[in-house]
Amino acid sequence: MAARAPETLSYGQIREDLFRPLSPFNSKWIFTCLAAFVFVVLGLVAWGFQLHDGMGITGLKRPIFWGFYVIDFVFWIGISHAGTLISAILRLTDAQWRKPITRAAEAITVFALMIGGLFPIIHLGRAWLFYWLIPVPNGRLLWPNFRSPLVWDLTAILTYVTGSVIYLYLPLIPDVAQLAKVNQTWRKKIYRLLSLGWSGSDTEWHALERAMKLMACVILAVAISVHTIVAWDFAMAISPMWHSTIFGPYFVVGAIFSGIAALMVVMSVIRRVMHLERYLTWRHFNNLALLLLLMSLLWLYFTASEHLTVWYGNEPSEMGVFGARVRGPYAPYFWAMVILNFVVPFILLGIRKLRTFTTATIASVCVLIGMWLERYLIVVATLGNPRLSSAHAVYAPTWIELAITAATFAAMVLLYMIFAKMFPIIAVWEFKPHPHEDD
Amino acid sequence: MIWLIGEFRKHDELADAIRDLRGSGFTAEDIEVFSEEPVELRKGVLDRPSKMSLTAVLSAMAFGSLATWFVYYAQNDYRLRSGGMPYFSFWSTGVITYETTMLGAILAIFGAFLWESRLFRRRHPHAPIPECPPNSMCLRVHCAKIDAEIGASKMREHGAVEVKQCD
Repeated sequence: MAARAPETLSYGQIREDLFRPLSPFNSKWIFTCLAAFVFVVLGLVAWGFQLHDGMGITGLKRPIFWGFYVIDFVFWIGISHAGTLISAILRLTDAQWRKPITRAAEAITVFALMIGGLFPIIHLGRAWLFYWLIPVPNGRLLWPNFRSPLVWDLTAILTYVTGSVIYLYLPLIPDVAQLAKVNQTWRKKIYRLLSLGWSGSDTEWHALERAMKLMACVILAVAISVHTIVAWDFAMAISPMWHSTIFGPYFVVGAIFSGIAALMVVMSVIRRVMHLERYLTWRHFNNLALLLLLMSLLWLYFTASEHLTVWYGNEPSEMGVFGARVRGPYAPYFWAMVILNFVVPFILLGIRKLRTFTTATIASVCVLIGMWLERYLIVVATLGNPRLSSAHAVYAPTWIELAITAATFAAMVLLYMIFAKMFPIIAVWEFKPHPHEDD
Repeated sequence: MIWLIGEFRKHDELADAIRDLRGSGFTAEDIEVFSEEPVELRKGVLDRPSKMSLTAVLSAMAFGSLATWFVYYAQNDYRLRSGGMPYFSFWSTGVITYETTMLGAILAIFGAFLWESRLFRRRHPHAPIPECPPNSMCLRVHCAKIDAEIGASKMREHGAVEVKQCD
């Protein structure tokens, strides 16, 4: 007998299915968490060494002062676009198929932002002086330089984190209220506290729906601005292949691209691990795969525009970076990036017969690696090939940067696993079509 | 004063009951609908006017203006040699103004949600909260004892499966 479409199931059944993965911790969950935790601890140890010995123990040397930390920062901020942009766009366009994926996406946003937001502090070296970025007059009566893109970053990321946490929390309230009713463990108190006494009255539903619509509009504008500002960290510098007017939209496209890829990887894992095959169906993967394919084409368009204008301009310092990227020491990374970001998704997702759950996940993993390489090329190739040709250098990260980078991926896994064990990863109350909605 | 709780299975019946109750003098403040999913009623049945958008816009403007004033003040508070650059730059301050404007809107939306949902300012903190069975909606009416019979009969008349009375 064919399984019933989840939309036709009763709320009781949906709740049972989606609350089941929250049941007691099993050994696999504990083992994975412990493994991730070990990597996080290793990263913290590496950071401890860096704080103790100074930035000299990293691979960051003149003229390459931005390395893995800035690459990771841009990468994670890019991943954070999974939730807000995808969820907000689909919510505003009233796309019904979004329902099982929005919370998974919004959670990625919050955790990716928390991780990405750490990198400027790690990169400061003297991390304990991070408050110098906050606009309070210090001992020398100086205010921060508001013209600095780093202060822009701080403002933008604070706004984005605040917005993303609220955007994740608001639709969680009705589900948490249900959990407070049914859960009989130590979590009950947490759920009750988080539910704010939600009773399901029409006043509460009206306020929630209105707030979600408005938040979707605002968060969309914030998400676009945040990655544009991250792009301006580069574009405001008069450095070869950074000082570009299209860097803002180029970065936003890249961020949405990697965000969708991250969402597909996460969905693929939770679908299998939490046995949510009935809820995360081929329809969701297929739609996201097509979005990923579209973003791949857009990414190629921006990359080609960026490189073609530089090549045509033939400006010596720009051509130095261009040459290093396409035929010099960075060429393997460059062509790997093109293959991973365009060729693989184009073949696996563009040819209908090849588009399956597995190939969509493979293409997404390739895009994540490819987008990390893109950020590596942007940061390192330019800094390693400055205008002064005698200052050319090569960047080699030490174990410190590698350990901290690995720790951030482990932290993402750890945070996500804890979240998925505490809260339903699919919004129960949003799942069924509401009376006013047409699919 | 007492509480009447009626359980409905159909939207139309619920809407008719609310219309009838309001026609009999019960105000929108006295009536609340409980359900496990949002209930959409036609305009005019049980409107809940909102000032959330206006609050968001005003708060956004206030935050943006305050941030701009603050940056202007801070940049002129202690004059430094800036190599001919203006102390206060419209273009670079624009980014901070934009972000703080958005922050103002976000905080206002959250604040307005808490206010309008009445989560922290319940009109009747000890009012009974109906245990609404799946796929049904519960109508809770606050009324004087003398009006209870009228309210209950209106609900039954429009298809309430069950009507309870609570003190």
